[in-house]
Amino acid sequence: MIIRVKLFIFRTVMKVLGLLLALSAPVSAFAVQDRYEQKVERYQNSWNRLIPRYQKLQFAGAMGVFSLGIGWDYGKNKQWESDLLFGYLPRFDGDHGHLTITLKQNYIPWKLNIKRSRWRVEPFTMSLYMNKIFGDEFWTREPDKYPDGYYGLATNTRFNLAFGQRIDFRLKPEGSSERITLFYEFGTNDLYLISAFTNKSLRVSEIFSLSLGLKFQFL
Amino acid sequence: MKFYPFSIFGWILLLGGCFEYHPYDVRLQEKYKQINQKNLDRLLATVPHSDTVCFAFVGDTQRWYDETEACVEHINRRNDIDFVVHGGDISDFGMKKEFCWVHDIMSGLHVPYVAIIGNHDHLGSGGEIYEAMYGDLNFSFVYGGIKFLCLNTNALDFDYATPVPDFQFLSQEMKDTVEQTYDQTIAMMHVEPGDLVFNNNVKDIFHEYLKHFKNLRFCIHAHAHCLKKSDMFGDGIMYYGADCMKHRNYLLFKVTQDDYSCEVVYF
Repeated sequence: MIIRVKLFIFRTVMKVLGLLLALSAPVSAFAVQDRYEQKVERYQNSWNRLIPRYQKLQFAGAMGVFSLGIGWDYGKNKQWESDLLFGYLPRFDGDHGHLTITLKQNYIPWKLNIKRSRWRVEPFTMSLYMNKIFGDEFWTREPDKYPDGYYGLATNTRFNLAFGQRIDFRLKPEGSSERITLFYEFGTNDLYLISAFTNKSLRVSEIFSLSLGLKFQFL
Repeated sequence: MKFYPFSIFGWILLLGGCFEYHPYDVRLQEKYKQINQKNLDRLLATVPHSDTVCFAFVGDTQRWYDETEACVEHINRRNDIDFVVHGGDISDFGMKKEFCWVHDIMSGLHVPYVAIIGNHDHLGSGGEIYEAMYGDLNFSFVYGGIKFLCLNTNALDFDYATPVPDFQFLSQEMKDTVEQTYDQTIAMMHVEPGDLVFNNNVKDIFHEYLKHFKNLRFCIHAHAHCLKKSDMFGDGIMYYGADCMKHRNYLLFKVTQDDYSCEVVYF
């Protein structure tokens, strides 16, 4: 009797164990699969974040006649923007045209939705940007023929500061983030500011210049 | 820096025609083009006040706009000056706006002015801007029987492909003596022989060459940011160095047939 009972218990345990084993094999395979997929997803997500969220076209702004580029917006309220722009400067009365590259950081503290409309106003923007112009006559450090620090300035790199406003229109009533934004900016650069601070005769209007732009938001 | 938020004119200036493509772009309004030629046309249409030719030589204006304004006001108060020469380093960084700001001030002079290129004016596309605004890097004119040579001596800013100083220009100018009637010569430049920006390999030859011009009286330069006066080559031909605008003075030359004077005028 006792032996039978023991045998029954033993068989039951074995069955359960067998069942567990049988079940656990595919389960653990699923678990591995799952972890891999999560990893892939995380990996793709982090690269997806690098997909530009908008494109920009800017006229003037001390980086060429036209500049074209891509950018990313981020922050709780999407109040930050980083642009990468490529500009072209024709030769005009000079000898050569030039290409320029710009890294631009924008700050948009307020976005005011106009009630019952697809319009939005961004009453104040502030931008800091660095522009580099390409060409033999422009350099970061003076060529070796000059004594060290003779001019002490990078002629190819300018640091700019600009203030502006924007008006923004949502292209579709709902369900997409496609937007088109029109903006203007008044900007100046480091060397103009240095000049203006040391000369009473230079007016603000002489060191600031206007630029216009369009932003096409996709994501 | 002054700003009047309620001046409508200020806002119009701010909004109108003030797109900037690049600090180093070479896009110029008509009034900023060929300034030397336009001013020489004006000058050569007049005759000297007397048998004395009187001109002012101002040094580096660079980033001293307030001082340059004061200088122009001071020169305008006189009535004995025939013309003004800017000795180079018009700009500090070679940017277009700097050249324009200086011209805006200098064009307030009652008399014509010409500008020589300085080494700072080569920075970035400054050389191209100078050529579009003022014209050739080497030029000359004859006024009151005096030949004025305006020479580019900023050798360090060029490669050997561009001769600085340009002896070919000088020999051509010497040949032109037949056509132009002058009996004295004055040489003007930005960088003086002996400075590191000058091509000192040829500084003696340069001076000898200048002496081939009819009756070389003296030479004038800027660049040093201090007043200078030296019989550089020990032959009695003086080199006068004009100070920069920061120190609020300029040189005033009075040249007659057999004498000349150089005065430092403070303003």
